[in-house]
Amino acid sequence: MKAVLHIIEYDFRNFFRYKWWLAGLISMNLADLLIMAVVYNKIVNPDLFLGQLKSYFNFFAPGVTVLGLFASAFMIGREVNMEVRREIHHYMLSLPITRLELAVGRLLAGGLRGMMYMTPLLLITFLFLGFPSPSQLLIILGALMLLATGISGLSIAAAVSITSFEKFVTARGLIYYVLFFCSSIFYPSSLIRTLGQDGLIPQPIVVLAELNPLSSGADLIRSFLIGTPIFTLEMIRNLAIFSMIFSTTSTLAYVKIIERK
Amino acid sequence: MAVIRTIDLTKRFKDLVAVDHLNLDIEEGEIFGLLGPNGAGKTTTVLMLSTVIKPTGGTAVVGEYDIGKSPDDVRKLIGICFQEPKLLWVSTPWDVLNWHAKVCGLSTQERKKRVKQVLEDVNMWEHRRKNVHGLSGGMRKRVEIAKILIQRPKIAFIDEPTAQIDVVGKHKIWNMIQELREEGTTIILATNELHEADILSDRVGIMHKGKLLICDTPKTLKDSILGGDLVEIRLEKEATQDAFDELKSFHEVVDVVTVKPTNLKVHLNKVEEIVPKIMELFMKRNLPVTSISMSEPSLDDVFVHYTGLTIEEAQRKSP
Ligand SMILES: Nc1ncnc2c1ncn2[C@@H]1O[C@H](COP(=O)(O)OP(=O)(O)OP(=O)(O)O)[C@@H](O)[C@H]1O
Ligand SMILES: [Mg+2]
Repeated sequence: MKAVLHIIEYDFRNFFRYKWWLAGLISMNLADLLIMAVVYNKIVNPDLFLGQLKSYFNFFAPGVTVLGLFASAFMIGREVNMEVRREIHHYMLSLPITRLELAVGRLLAGGLRGMMYMTPLLLITFLFLGFPSPSQLLIILGALMLLATGISGLSIAAAVSITSFEKFVTARGLIYYVLFFCSSIFYPSSLIRTLGQDGLIPQPIVVLAELNPLSSGADLIRSFLIGTPIFTLEMIRNLAIFSMIFSTTSTLAYVKIIERK
Repeated sequence: MAVIRTIDLTKRFKDLVAVDHLNLDIEEGEIFGLLGPNGAGKTTTVLMLSTVIKPTGGTAVVGEYDIGKSPDDVRKLIGICFQEPKLLWVSTPWDVLNWHAKVCGLSTQERKKRVKQVLEDVNMWEHRRKNVHGLSGGMRKRVEIAKILIQRPKIAFIDEPTAQIDVVGKHKIWNMIQELREEGTTIILATNELHEADILSDRVGIMHKGKLLICDTPKTLKDSILGGDLVEIRLEKEATQDAFDELKSFHEVVDVVTVKPTNLKVHLNKVEEIVPKIMELFMKRNLPVTSISMSEPSLDDVFVHYTGLTIEEAQRKSP
């Protein structure tokens, strides 16, 4: 157990060595939020697309929060990938730590780093949209931690299976693209469904957007803060399944693959 | 009592057999020198014994644990100083060592004391806050060695400890390795440097192409080869084949090794009687001798004898 904490400490140290980079990233997230919100407010008719929503800002703020969580929790993969290429993982493997402790440490560290990075974004969202009740807050944090762990797992699994940095970066771009755009981060699920029914979006994309854990994460925050969409247990279920699948896969892949390289 | 025993330990990388049915016993408390030319399989052996990579055949017992069945227990006994320093890639020497000590279970007080002590010992105290990216190769290696000196494991694997390190540093590190042993650590020293192995090791094993060729004390090995005496001859011109053959035909001469065409090492007996004859032989063929010296065989000679390679060749064979 102590060993898991040591690994988390190691990953947090690495995370904060990029403080300028992180600061840049978070300012970009905030700029996104402002620009998109202002511009979209002018070009979309909220009555038409967003139903009871007052502004695109209110809709987008939870989306950006989840976006930030995703990008930062995914960073662990880049470091794991670099370690494998530079054979630093040999050092990790020689330490008096079990393989399981090592893998769980990396997984949780990735997730917790995401949570930490996301905190200011979430606070800004609360400031503008109103604070949730304590129990709602607990549900939000719990659900987002599931999401963060799943993302961390996904990135670790990708990082160890694809050692070439170039291919890893390409895969990362692809994952980002698919998960960001086939989700309710930028546009409401209801809209995606409607467009799907009208035949304007292919059905697989509609399904993907519904199952996408990023959609569930963003919608969960929205359901508590702006009341739409309605909160359903399905959101939590989606997140839990995603988290379980990728936590398990990444733990197994991490241990199996780095021992071979 | 053997603290490490390898049983047909084998590692294949696709077509290449890096370590080939290695059978080796390492005694508790000794410094065991693992020698061999580049690519012999030393590092691969060390990595398998420290459970970093898995063997493709055979196994080994480290302490009382099988490396395949109880790797977690093995790792509690061992420490490793890697050939290529494995420093966390964005960090300072102090952070690297402090974290290492923490993971190895040292208490906060003990840790602070030892990290400082060892950083001073390896002359890295003043650089402790530098980013490791800004350190020279030798400095990184010092930090790598410091890990094991702080950890003081029961069994230490030390891979090429003094490659890239200056002469003064070398002697310091050799002393520290000996001190580590005196405190009870068993040390496996993988090295290319025969002199280093000679002065530090209680026993040495010579590996070549993944196989263990021979294993004994440096003294026994040196005595075992050829005649007890060694004469090194330098000539003004290259030795001709017939001079070479005649030299070999003396029955006191056991072997002649060509270090360079103008530099021969002759292993022989009854050195006092034979040296005048050798001088005469070269004079007769108009091959002036520029120098002649007598010495005891070194581990270099043992190495050359058993691997069939000269030191130069061995170094050139590097992959
Ligand atoms: N990960 C790997 N994949 C493929 N081949 C490898 C790998 N690691 C080592 N080898 C090969 O195994 C052989 C033994 O390598 P090893 O590093 O054990 O040699 P060594 O005795 O430590 O040499 P050196 O003195 O250069 O450090 C070499 O031919 C090397 O190319
Ligand atoms: Mg080596």
